[in-house]
Amino acid sequence: MNAIETKSLTKRYKTKTAVSELSLTVREGELFALLGVNGAGKTTTIRMLSCLSKPTSGECCVCGHNCQSEAAAVKNIVGISPQDTAVAENLTVLENMRLICGIYGYSPEKTKQRIDAMTSLFRMDEVANSRAKTLSGGWKRKLSIALALIAEPKVLFLDEPTLGLDVLARRELWSVVEELKGKITIVLTTHYMEEAEALSDRIAIMIDGSLAALGTLGELEAQSGESGLENTFVKIAAQFGKGA
Amino acid sequence: MNKISAFSARNFKEIIRDPLSYIFCLGFPLVMLIIMTIINDGIPPQTGMTIFRIDNLAGGIAVFGLTFVMLFTCLNVAKDRSGAFLVRLYATPMRSGDFILGYVLPTLLLAVLQILITFAASFAVSLIVGVELNVLGLLLALLSLLPTAVMMIAFGLLFGTLFSEKAAPGLCSIVISLASFLGGVWFDADGLGGVMLKICEILPFYHAVKAARMASALEFDGYFPHLLITLAYCVVITAASVIVFKSKMKADLQ
Ligand SMILES: Nc1ncnc2c1ncn2[C@@H]1O[C@H](COP(=O)(O)OP(=O)(O)OP(=O)(O)O)[C@@H](O)[C@H]1O
Ligand SMILES: [Mg+2]
Repeated sequence: MNAIETKSLTKRYKTKTAVSELSLTVREGELFALLGVNGAGKTTTIRMLSCLSKPTSGECCVCGHNCQSEAAAVKNIVGISPQDTAVAENLTVLENMRLICGIYGYSPEKTKQRIDAMTSLFRMDEVANSRAKTLSGGWKRKLSIALALIAEPKVLFLDEPTLGLDVLARRELWSVVEELKGKITIVLTTHYMEEAEALSDRIAIMIDGSLAALGTLGELEAQSGESGLENTFVKIAAQFGKGA
Repeated sequence: MNKISAFSARNFKEIIRDPLSYIFCLGFPLVMLIIMTIINDGIPPQTGMTIFRIDNLAGGIAVFGLTFVMLFTCLNVAKDRSGAFLVRLYATPMRSGDFILGYVLPTLLLAVLQILITFAASFAVSLIVGVELNVLGLLLALLSLLPTAVMMIAFGLLFGTLFSEKAAPGLCSIVISLASFLGGVWFDADGLGGVMLKICEILPFYHAVKAARMASALEFDGYFPHLLITLAYCVVITAASVIVFKSKMKADLQ
């Protein structure tokens, strides 16, 4: 079964078509990168896939569940780390994690087990009892991602997870993502080409809400006749009338 | 229930970990209680002015204190809405009713604690100044104030849902002023008469103060109309806040 399927997925705001006729599939266990310039429609796509926004037309399914007619089922299997860090500021790291476990109705044993798993995955021991508002940007973001992962999602959406992180923190996060690879399906958006190169199985490039290219890095390179993702990206954007 | 208790616990912590909530929700009412008691001490008995005597003051200050519970409910909701945190929770199995109860239950607990502390302080003052305050009466006053507490929290939820973190406190301060001036907390509204009294009688605050005062004095002649009006306001404002929160949530998820 495919983890994600979209058919002619479209989102129109009053004056703007944010996502236009997007049709793609993401396989189970795949790490799928969604690239595109600012305003290309990446976040809007992720919002529709996690039931945070309703498509204007077309449809999308996660693990076979329709995001509109089976929203409750979809919400139970997706995790989202929003583009803006989303944590409860006055709670500690542990309390934040406990909150999410509580919302999913976990038993105390299960809660402890999941918190231990997240604490060791993100090496959060040293900040476990710090209030979220006192954390650095990097720790906050790790916590934000941990909160998306703690409920054992089948599909994880990471919207610009490494935005604003220093080189080391970014590499650290990459290694966490690599540990998850294959175990769950991950959809990642990023503006860092090397990040998509390093992590993803397949890459989709969105331009003005539409799908401009889709394939493995090798396929995209062959298609554009360029080498490296950055050059490929620029070439494809130029073909669609974008860029310098 | 698990979802609601987890979210309630979070909201409780969120508010009690803000030092400002102690200053406003506890410090301010207690300071006013002491100041007004001192002022009362200076009022000559022959003027017949008893508005600041502790048996009158206790109920009024309790209503005044509840307006700050409204403010902190409102700030908590508005802050959640302005950040991405609520979006994250929208993507979990939390439903609108879970959010509403999760916001209301912990603040109701705070409101009850606040009233208990205000009344305990009032009782201590009554012993010092030698005016009789009845413990049973105070407990009945606490019960009489529950509809008002729920109404204030509903106002907080309503303003926090409709307005931004910046605009919402301004609206709360309107209610705070209305409640303390037109509720007859700081002066004798009955003595005003005329149009002013009519306005007081239209708003719920005057009735809330009256109900609390009468209950604490165990004086039930004419008590129930006051209580019923606060109950009616409670139902209407709560219904409005629930409808607004639900429709806003629906709009957020469009
Ligand atoms: N609620 C909204 N109302 C109106 N327009 C919107 C709304 N949300 C997004 N848009 C518009 O839709 C387009 C796509 O936005 P989106 O946030 O999906 O882009 P993005 O690819 O995530 O960009 P970025 O890389 O900057 O995060 C933008 O032009 C944006 O202005
Ligand atoms: Mg975005």
